[in-house]
Parts: sequence; structure tokens; C-alpha cells
Amino acid sequence: MKEYFKLNPITRRKLHRFRSIKRGYYSFLFLFFLFGLSLLGELFVNKRALLVWYEGELFLPTYGSQISGTTFGLDYAYETNYRELKTKFNLENEGNWVLMPFVPYDPFEMDYAEAESTGFSPPSFSDGHFCGTDKTERDVLARLLYGFRIAMIFSFGYLILTYLIALSAGCVMGFFGGKTDIVGLRLVEIWANIPFLYMVIILVSIMPGWWGVGWQVSSLLIIMVLFSWTGMTYYIRSAVFKEKSRDYVASAKVVGASPLRIIFRHLLPNVVSTLVTFAPFTIAAAISSITALDFLGYGLPAPTPSWGELLKQGVSNLRIAPWIVISTVGALVLTLTLVTFIGEAVREAFDPKKFSTFE
Amino acid sequence: MKKNHHRTNSFLSFLILFFSGCEDHKLKQPREERYENSSSKDSIREESLIDREFARDLAREFGREFARELALQLTEGNHSIAYSTLKLSGSAGQDLRTEDLTDADGNPHPLLAHCSEDVLEFYCRNPDAFSIERLGDMPEGLVWKDGSSELEFASSEAKKGGTWNVFMSDFPRTLRTIGPDANGAFRSYLLDYNAMSLVMTHPNSDGYFPGLARSWAVSKDGKTVYFKLDQNARYSDGKPVRASDFFFTFYFMRSKHVQAPWYNDYYGKDKFPKVTLYDEKTISITFYKAKPDVVERVSIRPIPEHFYVELDGEFLKKYQWNPEPTTGPYVALPENVDKGKSIVLLRQRDWWADQKRFYRYRFNPDRIRVSVVRDYNKAFEIFLKGGIDMFGLAKTEFWYEKIPDDHPLVTNGYLSKVTFFNQVPPPSFALRINSQKAPLDNKDLRIGFHHAMNFDLILKKIFRDDYIRMNTVADGYGDRSHPTLRAREFSVEKAVEHFSKAGYSKRGPDGILINENGERLTLELLTGYKPYEDVLVVLKEEAKKAGLELKLKILEQTAAWKTAGEKNHQVVFSAFNSSVELFPRFWEPYHSDNAFKEVGDLKYESDGKLKPDLTTKPSTNNLTQTAVKEIDHLIDLYRPEEELENITDMAHRLAEMIHDHAVYVPAWKKPWLRLGHWNWIKFPEDWGPKETRDYEEFQVFWIEEKEKSEILQAMEQGRSVSNKPTVRIYEKYKTH
Repeated sequence: MKEYFKLNPITRRKLHRFRSIKRGYYSFLFLFFLFGLSLLGELFVNKRALLVWYEGELFLPTYGSQISGTTFGLDYAYETNYRELKTKFNLENEGNWVLMPFVPYDPFEMDYAEAESTGFSPPSFSDGHFCGTDKTERDVLARLLYGFRIAMIFSFGYLILTYLIALSAGCVMGFFGGKTDIVGLRLVEIWANIPFLYMVIILVSIMPGWWGVGWQVSSLLIIMVLFSWTGMTYYIRSAVFKEKSRDYVASAKVVGASPLRIIFRHLLPNVVSTLVTFAPFTIAAAISSITALDFLGYGLPAPTPSWGELLKQGVSNLRIAPWIVISTVGALVLTLTLVTFIGEAVREAFDPKKFSTFE
Repeated sequence: MKKNHHRTNSFLSFLILFFSGCEDHKLKQPREERYENSSSKDSIREESLIDREFARDLAREFGREFARELALQLTEGNHSIAYSTLKLSGSAGQDLRTEDLTDADGNPHPLLAHCSEDVLEFYCRNPDAFSIERLGDMPEGLVWKDGSSELEFASSEAKKGGTWNVFMSDFPRTLRTIGPDANGAFRSYLLDYNAMSLVMTHPNSDGYFPGLARSWAVSKDGKTVYFKLDQNARYSDGKPVRASDFFFTFYFMRSKHVQAPWYNDYYGKDKFPKVTLYDEKTISITFYKAKPDVVERVSIRPIPEHFYVELDGEFLKKYQWNPEPTTGPYVALPENVDKGKSIVLLRQRDWWADQKRFYRYRFNPDRIRVSVVRDYNKAFEIFLKGGIDMFGLAKTEFWYEKIPDDHPLVTNGYLSKVTFFNQVPPPSFALRINSQKAPLDNKDLRIGFHHAMNFDLILKKIFRDDYIRMNTVADGYGDRSHPTLRAREFSVEKAVEHFSKAGYSKRGPDGILINENGERLTLELLTGYKPYEDVLVVLKEEAKKAGLELKLKILEQTAAWKTAGEKNHQVVFSAFNSSVELFPRFWEPYHSDNAFKEVGDLKYESDGKLKPDLTTKPSTNNLTQTAVKEIDHLIDLYRPEEELENITDMAHRLAEMIHDHAVYVPAWKKPWLRLGHWNWIKFPEDWGPKETRDYEEFQVFWIEEKEKSEILQAMEQGRSVSNKPTVRIYEKYKTH
């Protein structure tokens, strides 16, 4: 798609205009900075150390196989507890050291180390639990970050798949018109009347539980896409209709271009701009849907970190652990606000009124 | 898409509200189903622990077992059967003087004179099940009991009066006690805590106390129980309880019009082969099997025939909001039903059992107001404001965080926090290992698995030492439980040692053990208990230390138990409810006949090993697929044994053998019941009887109305009212 943008001067002007809308543009940069951060989350929020210096040798445990405790002279063969190792090295003071990430916990780990902690520890800087812990003593910030990563990847997958289906259906109906259009549109209308959430809930609840987490997440994605692509089709269809009657399409036809070439080469670049204005809102919808589904217990399989699950815990323990709700709602509001700012900016930048020329 | 997305969002928020409102925390089974499915309101999490499917399978299993025994007797004891038949037919003229239900003209017997045609026809169609005999035909030498030697379990200080405020999370969809939608939380107030059966089980001893029957006697063969009904027994509409009402119970319960297959089955002819009337106040009921607790099993509840007369297709509609008259103290009248909001139950002014022993100091409040509070957390807030009198505090976060001991309501003496140690057999929470499923057919691997399960951490951190570890396959049976056997402790060293004996000796790149073929040590843990997800996640994380990867498979209950029933699991986390019995059962869960279809020793080679290609037997309680020749043989000896001493000894040996076989990882048990209550509610000195599962169950408390106004006044003025400790523990029935 990138080459189309480059080729089309109007699109280039739109992008330029988007960049000049500061609020949206910085939101965009910030969101993608956060997303990039979450992709590299293991470097910032992890129970594994970044660097370990042990008897003249440097270890980088972050990625790759786990390093057993015996490697560092500990008495167990399972994965090293680097936080303990750090305290041990500090006490021994023999020149060995451990560099821990900013938040030294991972999202699955239950930090039952301290004798008193039994879940719901309040935020504490000394422990490295900056947003406190949840019911089973897992770090809220770690779960937020990894939950954000999953939600974002999920939303992008959702966006791409829905638009792919909507584009194909819309283009076919719009370009061929006539009976294809009438029949296709009726089918889409019927499909659109199937209640989205009920279907998702029903299908998710009958989903075989022994599927792996990956399978479950992707089937959840597919189910959600299957019942929500229809809305976009109408816009694509009308956009294609509009573009189809333009002179350049007629001339392409005269030259003898095949329907496929016309659709891909001429129509798509012009239709895509419609999609782009909707994209941020679709992302926002996807994030809130997945959160809501998780909240209801029909979303991602446990113990996958997820915002909905955090919200649910937070709401039912509002009095005793307000930090869960505060940080989760904060994160949700921030993300959705950023996405909305981007959306508004994109819409303004792509507003056809600014660029339409009358013949 | 934008429009769509907005619609989606508003729809979502609606849905969230809808769902959070609908969570039915109090949905529970009626008392009559207690053999099959019992639950406790006290701890929401443990509700519906025992799946019905399972219970039904269990029931079916009893049927099969019975048929098998009968078949064995028939083949082995041909002669004796023939002899007894002969004897019977020889004396038939004297012994079987059954009177006809109708005379030659088709007029009903005087005891059934009031019956409608349909009902009468039902009895006549089953003449062997419903019979009328003369009083003189009752067997001689019956030992009549009336429970007079039992002690009362309520306090003589109890005062009548006041309104008891409780909540339900949903308004009942009907006031019927049977049929579709009848199985809601509210039914407990109509049946479990209220209606009376023939005989009631004494909650402090192994005995019984009179209900509608003033005395009872068990026949020599242990299958039939004779009852003399109380002369005064009356329904709330003033009509007396008739002997024929106990006939009618079966007409009612077996009717297809009530649309309750469970009851149709429970009251089926195969369970209750015969009911006999002797006169207006004497009846007998026969059970299909001579169970030690046969009195309890046949102690049914009469259905008021005068109220229903007969059933037809209109039943559900007709009685939807028209509750049947009750024999119990509280009555729900249609005018006290505020639909969608609350139901007020009134105590009958002249209740027939008002002054009787075992009843006179119970059922004290004049009114029970059951209001709808849809959200559990909201109900808790109302409780803290005094709008609800009692609240179950079994959940750790309620007990420790939401109302800690230093909460002002507690320190000022307004509210009490009570821990009551009860004695009820615990549900058997455990990980059951399928010993026939590779790689778990290796005993070392199973022992390693035991040592890799960190229940100590769970008890300490999640349950905060409130629950205790279960140790054997048969805890809670008094002397019959093994006194010294302990569950295997969590130990990474021991686990790794046993895993390496089983061939898993190297650690893979992710720390999980692998064997020579490069196979990872991965096991699947199946369960239907979503609320225990936390616990299983801890087990999963801790097992990694021992190099074991657990894959959690948390399904919806029915699906989970079905998978386990097909014996397709590797490890299943489940619990069976144990009924109150003298000694544990081993045949159902550990005999090889419940693991494979091949009978008895046909399964084994001469050296005691299992033959290959055996056919798995689905839907039994042998979820561990235990098939060990020695265990089989001992169980075969154990079942018919009558001497308690031998039974005890064998039960201990069986528990040891199963422990050595390492197929059962005992989890935990909860030895108490916990609640918070306002201090105007008073309890007897011991708080309650020892078999209390539920704080509402035996209704031994009373309300001090004067104190209520004092406490409310003091709260307004902000002063404390009591110097008494308001965090109380009752340890009288504590066993460990």
C-alpha cells in the first residue's frame, strides 16, 4: 500500500496535513512508542535479569533458554530466581552482580516471596510493584503491559482481517453491480443481523478447552471478525460505486484493462482512503470488545494477561485493592483517548471537502 | 462501521450490567436431593461442586451393583431361593392378607375414599406398590423408636418474635417446589428450612427425632420402615395430614405433569417398591435395599392431596404462584409476595408442632423477609448497614479484607464474626490421576507428580491456613479414617528423583524435563471448577520447578465431567460429596470392575499384571482407573464385612494401598463455617448443632428486638454497645 501512497499526490498531501495536526500526530507517535515498548516488554518487565556477571562470565538471560540455578552456584535445578540471586550477590560482595529490568516481575509469576503477602499488595516502589499486585500476587503493571501488547496485536489482526473481507466483498459488489450487488447486499444484510456479541459468547463457550492458548486466541479473533466485517462493506461498496463512474475508470476500460487490474490498480488506492479514516475507530472498538469479553469471562484463556480480567478483579475488590481498577482504567482511558485523537486527526486530514475539485 | 461500533459499545455495557446482575450466588439444590447434590450457601465457591451427571451415574451404578448382586445370588443360591419361594406360596393364605384397593363394585377402600378417579386408577395400576393391609398384619416384634432419648439442640432461652432479614440474588420464577424453574434459592425457605418429613435426622447424633411420624420401626430385613403418624400433624390450611397423602406423594412425584425427571426417577418404583397403609395414622414404606440409613432414605414428605386432588397438563400454570400448604412453621401467602422485590414468610400462630420437643425453641422469628439483591457485593454493603441480618463470610477476602477484626462495626460490638467448626464429611477435593493413561501408567512418575504439587503454598497463601490438607482417600470417617497416613509433601528433590526414575532425567531449554526420546514431561489437568483457576495456576507455576509442565484444561462443568467420565483425562481436579456414612466406600472409586468392562480377575494375567486390550468402562467413579488385583480382593472382602473392627482395619489397609498406588493427590478440606451477624441475633451456647452446613439450616437463633433498637441507636450516636468479644470461635466440634 505504501507505494500507492507515494504515487498519489493527493494522499501525500493528506498525510502532510495529518502531520500538521499536532494532537493527532503526537498521539500517533506516542501510541506507537508504547506499542514498540510493549513488543520489547521482556527487556523492561521481566523476572529474568538483563545481565548477570558471575565469576568472570557475562550472561544474558532475557531471551532464549532458561538458565538453571546450578549455573550460578545455587542449590536448585529449576530456573534461577534472579531477584534472590541479586540479593545473594549483594550480600556476598564477591564482584558478581545482577542487573534486573525496571519491573523485575513477569505477568504469570506469583510473588509469594514475602511471608506476609497473600495477594493484593498495594503499590510499592521498594518491591518493584509500581501498580501493586492482584489477587494471586501477580504484578499489575506487568499484566497491564503484556495485556496491552496482546490487545494491540489482537486489534491489528482484527483490523486487517475485517478490512480484507469487507474490501473484497465491497469491491465485488460495487464493481460488478447489478444482480451481484443485489444478491450480495441482501446476504450481507442478513449476516449483519446476527447479533455479534451473542454469537461470540455462544461460540466461545463451546470452543474446546483443550486447544492451546494460541489456537484459542486466533479462533476468538476469527469468530469476532466473522461477525463484524459487514459494517465496513457498505462504505466500500458505495465508494467503489462512486469511483467506478469516474472518467479514469472508463478510460482504463477502454484501454482494455481487466476487471482485476481496474480494481487493484485504480479503484483500491482511491477507496483505501475511506478505510484509513475508519481504522483508528475500529482499533478502539476491538480493544474495548476484547476487554469487555474478558470481563465477562468469554475472552482470552487464563492465565493470559488481559485488561478485562484485571478490571473484573478490580471491580469485585474495589474497596480492598483500588489500585487495580485505577491503573487498569487509567491505561484503558489513555489508550482509547490516544486512538480517538489519531482517528479525529485522520478524519480531518482525509476530509474530502478539502480536496474535491468540481468539474 | 462507526455506527456499528457505537451500537456495539452500548450493547456491551448493557450486557455487562445484565450479566453482573444475573450471577446467581445462591442457587442451590433442595434438601431432598442431598444424596445427589448438596451445596452450601456458606461458601459460594463450593456451590454446585458435585455435578448432577456424576451423581446420576453414581445412582445408576448403585442400580447396576444391585443387579449384579442379585444375579450372583440367583446363580449361587438357586436352592435357597427356590426354598423360600416354596415357603412363601405355602403360607400365602395367612401372610398376604392384602386388602383390595377397591371392592367388587369398584368403590375405593375407605382410606382412599376421597381420591379422585385418576389417582385411584394410578394406585390400582400398581397394586404391588400400593397396598392396604390390616393393622393386625404388621409383623410382630417391631422395635418402635420415638427419639425420646435424643437431646434437644436448641436453646431454652430462645424468644419468639421479630423479623429476620435475608436476601436472595434473584426473584424466584415460581413458588412451586417442583418442576421447571423451581430449583432456585428461595425454595430452601419453603422446603429445606421449613417443611417436615416423617422423621428428621438429628444433627448432633446418629439418631433421629420425630417429624410427622411420632414413632417408627424398621423391619427385620432392614428394608421396610413402619411409621405411626402424629395425630396433630396439620397443614398450614388447617387440614390434617392423612395416611393416603403418602400414597399421593408417589402419584405426584412420578407424574409427568410436574415435568421433573429427577423426581420421577428419585421416587421411582425401583427405589420405593412398596408403600402400605394400615389405618389413618399408620403406614410403612419399603426401600429397594437394606441400607444402614434406611429410615432416612424413606422418610419422605407428604404432598397435600386435598390441595392438588389430581394433576393434569395445567399443573405448572395453575400452581406457579400458588404455594402448597406446608407442614412446617413458615407459610408463604400469595398476598405477601411483592413480585420482583421480596417475599415475606409468616410464622403460623398455631403451628401444630409449636410446643413439641425439638421444635419448641427453633423457628423463632415471626417473619422472614427475603428480599432480592441482585449483586452479591451490594448485598454485603446492605449487610454492613444492617439491612440484612447475617452474611456468610467463607471467602478469605470477605473475612480478612472486607470486614477485618478491627472493623469499627466489630470493635464497637454491633456485629459479630463467627467461626463454627462443624462435622460434616468434606467434599473430596483431589487431583485424580488416570493410572492407565501414558505416561502416568508409570508409578514413579505418579509419585513424582504427587511431590510436584505445592498444596502447602496454596493452603498458606490462597486459603491463609483456613483450610487444612486432606490426607487420605477417606478423611472424615472417624476411626475408619487412617490415623497416621499423610499426603505426600511438596518437594522438588523428591519429585525430580522420581521423575528421573521414570526416565525423565534431563532438563530441556525451558526447564521442563525430557526423557531419552526427547519427549517433554507435559501433563494435562482437567477440571470443571472455574472458580479454582487461581489455585490451579499456582500448581502449574510451582510444578515448573520440578520440571513438570501442566496444561490447564478448564471447561464448563458438564463438558469437563463428561470428558472425565469417558476416562480420557490424564489428571482431573474434582470433588465428590460424601454423604454422612459410617464407613467409606471403596468399590465405586477403586475397584477394577469400575475401570474395565471385563469382570473380576479376568482382567489379570497369572502374575497379577493387567492384560492388554481391556475395554474401558465409562461413566463410573473410578476416575483413577485403578485396577490392582490385591486392592480388588480386599474390596471384595470389605464390602460384605459386618464387624466394625474388621471394617476399620480393612479401611485402613485400603487407604494405605491406594496411597502406595499413588493415584490420588488429596487437596484440602474446610472444617468450619464462617459468618457475620448483627448482635441482635442470638445463638445458643454452642452456636449450632455439629452437622450444620449452612447458617440458616436448623434455625436455632432468635432475635432480641430491644437490643436491635439499642444497637441502631448507638450506631447513630457513634458509641459502642458491648464489651463482649465479637469475634467468636466455637471449637466444640473441632476434630483435629
